[in-house]
Amino acid sequence: MRSLASAALFTLPLLVLVVAWELAVRVFEVSPRVFPDVFSVGGAAVESIADGTLFAHVLASMTRVVVGTLIALLVAIPMGIAMGVSPGVSSFFTPIFRFFSVLAGIAWIPIATLWFGYGFGAIVFVIFNAVFFVVAYNTLLGVSSIPMPLRYAAASLGTRPWQMLWEVLLPGALPNIVTGIRTGLGFAWRGLIAAEMIATNVGLGYMLFVARDFYRTEVIVFGMIVIGVIWLLIDRLLLVPLERATMERWGMVRAA
Amino acid sequence: MIDAWNRGVWGPYMRATARWPALRSIVPFVPLVVLWWAVARAEVFPRVFFPGPTDVVAAFFSLTYKGILPEYLSDSVTRLAVGAAVGIAIGIPLGLLVGLSKRAHSALWPVLLFFQAIGDIAWLPILLIWFGFGLTTMTFVIVYTVLFPIVLNTVLGVRSIPLDLHRAALSLGASKVRVVWEVVLPGALPNIMTGLRNGLGYGWRALIAAEIIVGTSGIGFMMFDARRAGSVVEIMLGMVLLGLLWYIVDAWVLAPIERATGQRWGLVQRQ
Repeated sequence: MRSLASAALFTLPLLVLVVAWELAVRVFEVSPRVFPDVFSVGGAAVESIADGTLFAHVLASMTRVVVGTLIALLVAIPMGIAMGVSPGVSSFFTPIFRFFSVLAGIAWIPIATLWFGYGFGAIVFVIFNAVFFVVAYNTLLGVSSIPMPLRYAAASLGTRPWQMLWEVLLPGALPNIVTGIRTGLGFAWRGLIAAEMIATNVGLGYMLFVARDFYRTEVIVFGMIVIGVIWLLIDRLLLVPLERATMERWGMVRAA
Repeated sequence: MIDAWNRGVWGPYMRATARWPALRSIVPFVPLVVLWWAVARAEVFPRVFFPGPTDVVAAFFSLTYKGILPEYLSDSVTRLAVGAAVGIAIGIPLGLLVGLSKRAHSALWPVLLFFQAIGDIAWLPILLIWFGFGLTTMTFVIVYTVLFPIVLNTVLGVRSIPLDLHRAALSLGASKVRVVWEVVLPGALPNIMTGLRNGLGYGWRALIAAEIIVGTSGIGFMMFDARRAGSVVEIMLGMVLLGLLWYIVDAWVLAPIERATGQRWGLVQRQ
């Protein structure tokens, strides 16, 4: 009951916003080429759901994100741990990864499209880059921030290398890894939209950019809402719970 | 083998970095550049697709000589600076309002979260319809991008200040304005700095994307223009410059400020 009330309280301002939007469009008689009214956005929603284009665009975008992110995680986490184990090696690699995590995502679009051509490969490469460097950098930081006494203690109790990895290094770095994933996905999501505007013929970014050519603002606004809602869902349903769980379970946070 | 490596190379390196910490952020790039040079030299990939560091340096000098590079660079940096300044000017007061007033929080917080989720770049198409291909569009995108991390982090910072401090200041006779100025703002400063740092990081990327898509001038434009002409050298030059610039801003300006505010005003307790 209480969660229902708080959900209502949360959506109320958004509803007010929608009503204000409709009123503003009516009162000022805004041209639909500048900004659409609520009902035509609803119409665009119904239309694109009915003819399946929305589904195709969302599916294409999500496939790219999932493929790029998974490859990146599979490479980045082992690499980050390997580099973080020795303090000297990790301090050597830190500036390099810092440099590349700055370039993460969008800056790779021009060269990715040149290397892979316009299409799936280039976009997955951009997403891979966005996630890879940020996650590897954070994993490295996470592993090197595990207190040395913990590792000595584990070693002197006879931990095998494999157990050390699995039971000390990975759990210890996990809060940082999850933070890295969250940041990396944020960059990847933005990179995805930008790359799709430039380099493909299907996907959410493409949907927005094509609508611009025909001044179909209702499709643009609908697309923006879809992008916002998908990101909110990813963030609230996947990333935030993941972060909270790892923080409580393995973080160095002590209950006060 | 490993012993010789430790004694001959690694040991001296560790001693040298202990003496001159600046080396630590330069030396690691040396093997990377050498590797890059070797791969390009061996022509593992066709030279047009994968030019070496010497080509990039040559491109740097020729573009600087022609005067294109300094102009684009200053364009990009000015845009980012203007965007950041406006973002800060709006973001911090808004964050204080939302963080301090319960009513403003329940009215604005969901809206803020939603607009933050839409993301800067998704605004580009409709901005292009509104403002055309030009400076307004780009400034809007950057301000939008910088704004949200600052607002959200300011709110977080304001709300994390213990209520006791408020009450203590009030009961000692401080006016509301003074409480905001001397308790809330300093207390939230570490978070505000984190927000600024994130915001600039996102703003930087948004700027590149906007310059690629809107395309009138700037480093992003240079890279995409080079892509059209198929000149990988200029693309790589752009990437190296972007990385260097941000590295300088982040490591030498933002990180020290963050560290300083964190130690000075943060609620970090020495153990």
